[in-house]
Amino acid sequence: MKALILNGERSFEYSLSKFSKIIEDLLKGAGYQIKTIILHEKNIGNCIGCFGCWLKKPGICIIEDDAQEVAREVINSDIIIYLTPVTFGGYSSQLKKALDRNISLISPFFGTYHGEVHHRPRYKKYPSLIGIGVFSEYNKDQAELFTNLVERNAYNFHSPSHASQVFTAGESLQEIELKINSLLSKVGVNYE
Amino acid sequence: MNKSRNILLLVGSPGGASSTSASLGHYILDQLAVQGFVTTELNIQSEVQSSDLQTFCKTIDDAEIILLTFPLYVDSLPAPVINTLELIRDRRVKSQVNNQKLIAIVNCGFPEASHNEWALAICEQFAQEAGIHWMGGLSLGMGGVVHGKPVSELGGIGTNIVNALDLVVESIVQKEDKIPEEAIEYMATPPIPYKWMYTSIASISWIFGALKNKVLTKIGSKPFV
Ligand SMILES: Cc1cc2nc3c(=O)[nH]c(=O)nc-3n(C[C@H](O)[C@H](O)[C@H](O)COP(=O)(O)O)c2cc1C
Repeated sequence: MKALILNGERSFEYSLSKFSKIIEDLLKGAGYQIKTIILHEKNIGNCIGCFGCWLKKPGICIIEDDAQEVAREVINSDIIIYLTPVTFGGYSSQLKKALDRNISLISPFFGTYHGEVHHRPRYKKYPSLIGIGVFSEYNKDQAELFTNLVERNAYNFHSPSHASQVFTAGESLQEIELKINSLLSKVGVNYE
Repeated sequence: MNKSRNILLLVGSPGGASSTSASLGHYILDQLAVQGFVTTELNIQSEVQSSDLQTFCKTIDDAEIILLTFPLYVDSLPAPVINTLELIRDRRVKSQVNNQKLIAIVNCGFPEASHNEWALAICEQFAQEAGIHWMGGLSLGMGGVVHGKPVSELGGIGTNIVNALDLVVESIVQKEDKIPEEAIEYMATPPIPYKWMYTSIASISWIFGALKNKVLTKIGSKPFV
């Protein structure tokens, strides 16, 4: 089993490595092979909205940079974890840059899912999605928004299961570990 | 009367002038220019991201109204748009600029305008953090029907879009605090009444696009497994 952490921390802000370390340890304990990508260390350009990943090189973004490797890792994982500072209730631009480039992983064609139109899957299997948002200062509206956004992404991405949790920068390691444990069990991770 | 009033259009689509985001923004800007407003337009991907920070920040600070138009990308704002909002927020202490207002218009590729709800909520949260008054947002589904055409040339299919934008223009001219609910409803009304019709047209355009590039037989490829 494989898991991938996409760390969307901003290079000049507080580090989220404390969180990724806890996730890594817990998942290793459950027998997962785990990879963490710190996105600001990678060369990832912005999506140019050309749909070349559907109509020129189907399934592969036409921009040749590290986003191709990220997409390959994502689709070959059983669980992906979006780790990000909560940014206006959503994701940081660092994380979002990588996600915008992942539409290569779905089909251009449409289907009806959860009562509304979404793109059909390209692949047989998609990873479960965990969203972890970190606040410097807690905001209730933004916490709800974050949860909804992760759910919307899970629908768009055909994730078999999803879960999310927000944290505030000052939480203790034990608290964080407890909550992440519960998140992982929501997407089917067990330690037996 | 409106001579000292200044509106800034920020276009958040990488498609630039041929995008739906630009068409929607231009319609409002053109109407306000006729009314004597000073209008400025910046494309986020091609101009803001590469311009020097000082000049950009001055342009932002000078605007009485910021009109942000963008496409929905993965249920949210495109990365460069988020990056621009981060930039504005990071350098602004709340209440530093008085009486500034934000209106956002988001369009998406799926037929239901409701996909855009969370992206607009993100814009509202940005406004709060940056000390900007949130006038509200409009949300368009089936964004592909505009496809860079001037809104005034869309004909019947664009009636509700024009109605919505006219109401927004009026609320700006009248210095209202919020855009009218009616404008939100007009914009959210599907331009094509049947979802299947829109998705069929879109699917045919994917097929033609792939055919043109000689990759139709590969359109369902799974290169990464
Ligand atoms: C990277 C990417 C992600 C997208 N994600 C969504 C989405 O989550 N929901 C949706 O309805 N449309 C989505 N779209 C479609 C665009 O929102 C749609 O094509 C829009 O009309 C483009 O507007 P523009 O011409 O202003 O760029 C996406 C397009 C791209 C390129």
